Amino acid sequence: MNRALTIAGAELRLMLRSRLALVGIATLLLLSAIAAVTSATQMAAAAEMRAEAQAATDAQFKAQPDRHPHRMVHYGTYALRPVGPLAAFDPGVDAFTGTLLFLEGHRQNSATFGAARESSDLVRFGQLTPAFVLQTLAPLLLVFLGFASIARERERGSLRALAAYGAGAWSILVGKALALGVAAALAMAPAFAALGWAAVQQPGEAGIAALTALSYGGYLLVWVLVITAVSALAASAQGALVTLIAAWAIVVVLVPRAAAAWVGVAEPLPSRVDTEFAIAADLRRIGDSHNPNDPHFAAFKAKLLKRYGVTRVEDLPFNYRGVLAQEGERLTSQLFKDYAARAAAIQNAQTETLTTLGIISPALAVRRASMTGAATDLGTHLAFLAAAEAYRYAMVQKLNGLQASAVASADDAARSKDPIADRRTRISADFWKTIPDFDFSAPSPGERAGAMAMPLAVLALWVALAIGLFAFARRRLERAGL
Amino acid sequence: MSNLAREFGFMLRSRSALMALALLAICASAAVALGLASVARDRAAIDRMIAGQATEERALAAFVKDAGSGAYYGFQPTWDAPSDLAFAALGSRDIAPAMLRVRALALEAQIYENEAANPELALPGRFDLAFVVIYLAPLVLIALLHDLWSGEREAGRYHALAAMPGANRRLWSARVLVRLGGVLAALLLPFAVGALIAGTAPLRALGFAGLIGLVALLWTAIILIVARRGSRSAVHAASLAAIWFALTLVAPAGANLAINAAVPVPDGAALARENREYVHAGWDRPRDQTMRDFLKLYPQLAPGAAIPPTFHWKWYFAFQHLGDRHVAQQSQAYRDGIARRAELARAAGWLLPPAGLAQAMTALARTDIAAQLDYQMRIRAYHQRLREFFYDYLFSEKPFGPDDLADVPRFDPAIDS
Amino acid sequence: MSNPVLVIDQLVVERGGRRIVDGLSLTLAGGEIYALLGGNGAGKSTTLFAILGFLARSGGGLTIGGQDPATAIEAVRAQIAYLPENVALYDHLTARENVDYLLKIADCRRSRAEIEAAFLSVGLAAPAWEQRAGSFSKGMRQKTAIALAMLRDTPLLLLDEPTSGLDPAASADFHALLETLAARGVAVLMVTHDLLGAADTADRIGLISGGRIASEWSAQTSEPRFDLNALHDGFARVR
Repeated sequence: MNRALTIAGAELRLMLRSRLALVGIATLLLLSAIAAVTSATQMAAAAEMRAEAQAATDAQFKAQPDRHPHRMVHYGTYALRPVGPLAAFDPGVDAFTGTLLFLEGHRQNSATFGAARESSDLVRFGQLTPAFVLQTLAPLLLVFLGFASIARERERGSLRALAAYGAGAWSILVGKALALGVAAALAMAPAFAALGWAAVQQPGEAGIAALTALSYGGYLLVWVLVITAVSALAASAQGALVTLIAAWAIVVVLVPRAAAAWVGVAEPLPSRVDTEFAIAADLRRIGDSHNPNDPHFAAFKAKLLKRYGVTRVEDLPFNYRGVLAQEGERLTSQLFKDYAARAAAIQNAQTETLTTLGIISPALAVRRASMTGAATDLGTHLAFLAAAEAYRYAMVQKLNGLQASAVASADDAARSKDPIADRRTRISADFWKTIPDFDFSAPSPGERAGAMAMPLAVLALWVALAIGLFAFARRRLERAGL
Repeated sequence: MSNLAREFGFMLRSRSALMALALLAICASAAVALGLASVARDRAAIDRMIAGQATEERALAAFVKDAGSGAYYGFQPTWDAPSDLAFAALGSRDIAPAMLRVRALALEAQIYENEAANPELALPGRFDLAFVVIYLAPLVLIALLHDLWSGEREAGRYHALAAMPGANRRLWSARVLVRLGGVLAALLLPFAVGALIAGTAPLRALGFAGLIGLVALLWTAIILIVARRGSRSAVHAASLAAIWFALTLVAPAGANLAINAAVPVPDGAALARENREYVHAGWDRPRDQTMRDFLKLYPQLAPGAAIPPTFHWKWYFAFQHLGDRHVAQQSQAYRDGIARRAELARAAGWLLPPAGLAQAMTALARTDIAAQLDYQMRIRAYHQRLREFFYDYLFSEKPFGPDDLADVPRFDPAIDS
Repeated sequence: MSNPVLVIDQLVVERGGRRIVDGLSLTLAGGEIYALLGGNGAGKSTTLFAILGFLARSGGGLTIGGQDPATAIEAVRAQIAYLPENVALYDHLTARENVDYLLKIADCRRSRAEIEAAFLSVGLAAPAWEQRAGSFSKGMRQKTAIALAMLRDTPLLLLDEPTSGLDPAASADFHALLETLAARGVAVLMVTHDLLGAADTADRIGLISGGRIASEWSAQTSEPRFDLNALHDGFARVR
């Protein structure tokens, strides 16, 4: 172990004395510092903007004047997806989804206004965030720093000299890997500091931050071990470099994109219009409130009349229109929920496939773990959509309930022809204040930790594979007499 | 010619060179195939929408009573069909919708809708031929050419080779040409097949092929300048990979950050809220004022503008449109902000050739942000035609029934611009 | 004479199925300088690698200080100082740092004063100690490496083509250093092309051919130490 430390010390000294290595480390330090700071300010600004917008929309809803409740159903409200707790570290899909959802009766809208659609085409080249730095840039820097560590010594003959002085294959490999690990830790410090800072500000997230750091640690460990092993196995430093750059390009750049493209084609998601048409067709089949002879609504009416022992809806003890609206909303919302669940199932399956493909590329696995931890993944977005839909349904049904109980049936019937009756259908603005505000909190740290288990397991598999390669390199060196 | 043939044979004997070229050709072919599949899926979705519209209109015909209900319930499809080159550069078609059904209500509440898509698939970026050309081809060129001279020097052959008469022409030029040719073939053959299948217009296909050639030439030049320096092969490879990394990964991401910081885009949520506020306040605003404001925009409708004290669709659609007008400036500023960002990104492309060439590819394929903004403008133009069609019925009190649904103007990608 | 430091008995080493060393025998005592001469591919370096344990032997006997590299590689290496042809120093480290580093690897503790004394005794002047090895001539690199070998105080010194690339003056300096080491009781085995240099310094010269010692000469007590004509003839024959 002492020899390994000595070798690591000399390798670090080499890095310190090599201008190229210093420039590389300094560049990455700078990039990850810039990424940490800009990402933190951007996400803080986004969080503030969304919180303010949510407060403003809630206040506007409560400030509406006396109205017919159905007008409030159409006035609706907005739900804004809050910024994930660790979004400053890994914004994940935040930019690629809409963040604003308009909630109104009868309709289920899509989330609008995402940062990616507001950016130039350059956004597709990647976003400079701490996560991007760690996932994409850091491994390549490690390749540059480490490709020659052992190959160089072999080319210059000093590898045999080291062996002649008694250093074994194991201490050489461990020493070189150790030095590379120290360089990695140093260059990544700002990114990890960003993570630590987030954990300090939100103590509840400390466990998740630790798991996230663990997954990145594992990911970079895989790179450190593989780079050192390849440097030991390659015939020349040049060969090691070309092999490692190819491996990096395939694992970090090629596979994530190709996998996403393939998954998108292999497991297609119905378009928004497909879903709208399907829902409309289902509604026409199960109950069309526009059709006076619709069997479902005819039966619904007959059942109500029978239960209250009356023959006309005007004689019901409540405003039939409100109850009818509730029944209509119940039918459509059930369909919205069913179709959203179907779409979510497809998307979750797509994402699941990507996680499984992490077996080909640890970059996919670490990205999954990181986004899940940061609550900036698909799962959180779907949870937001589901929460917003549940809120929409509750709000609309409450307003429909107010129409049934607080608006007189006769006034409601006459309001489009009689301005006086119309005025009487306006109920007190105080009712709007009884509707609770929309509130969404990301999946709990416990749930997220659970969801991180699978990608962490894939990363553990990769660490095991890397250790295997490392051990293989050791055997090869030993067989060469070291 | 014999020099080229000899160097070609030489390259065929290098297993690593063949592997790199094979990988590139496989990636290019896969990218073309997935691109064609993606475009076919887009087309099929648009076809389904247009076919499904007939069903929707039959259903609407069953209960439409007047022009107002026809306009209120009558969603009309608009679409942005992929171009014949989209398969090669899919651009941002995955994050911006290619289909939108609109109706004559306030457009600002409709136009920002998003397509249903898994954001995790959009996150890593597209896998298309443009990606293979911009990201992977330079790496393959670097692998093939970085040790052109240093490799021979390290093998101790350099001086012997360089001393031969005409070494420049016979050896180095031939070697560069053969390897560059291999890379171009790996990219252009799959592209040619894709273009034939997609029926790309010859000039456009040629333009795209020219961009591919430009990328390859640019990188060949960069590589040769670096490889000419007398360092070791490993140093050349590392320097070139670092240049690639800076130009292709870091600088565009940094430029995006800087551009977004320099050009603020108005808050979309505020825009949407403002539009809703104005539209819904229309219910409570004095009706005369609404009609007066509306007639300022449509004086020709004044003769039929009288409204009863109760609900009338004329009034309803008037305040819907006034809601759009109310935020027109904000909406324009929002579009301008995005357009300005795109413009700066194109300017940055002159400094960052990979980003510039990638943008040129998506521009040629009409899959860039500019194309998205253009589609939105076509939706706006169509929305105006749609609204005015119904205004005509509403303000002249012409009866409107199921039969008139057939006369509702249709979106036409060619004329709504 | 003391106990033999290196004993090679009918050594056989194969590489890629070919017998490179085939029945080589050689015994070397402390204080002796032995030059192994031979053409390219004769098996000189292979013999060195077998002694160092980089290559396993497929037959014969081989001990260093009584230890067999096949069974006690660490103990064997602890007894050997080895200078490859290009003197593997680290260019980015100074002479002192190189020595510090390699001594640590060899698990050998020496004081600052001892190191400086060794530098002085090989003729490396103080200003060079803190210079990076990257700026050294081959002669200075070798001096550094010899200083290191002295500090390690190993009984056996292995040299691979030590004088190739040295000018005559540096070559003479180097041979003088070897004699100093030998006088301290170190056994020196060098592999070389340099017939004249070997004749100047070596106590014995072995001519290797077909993987074994084809001829061997011992130095005379009076000048000329070797019959140069006989050496030349022998060398010419095996080529």
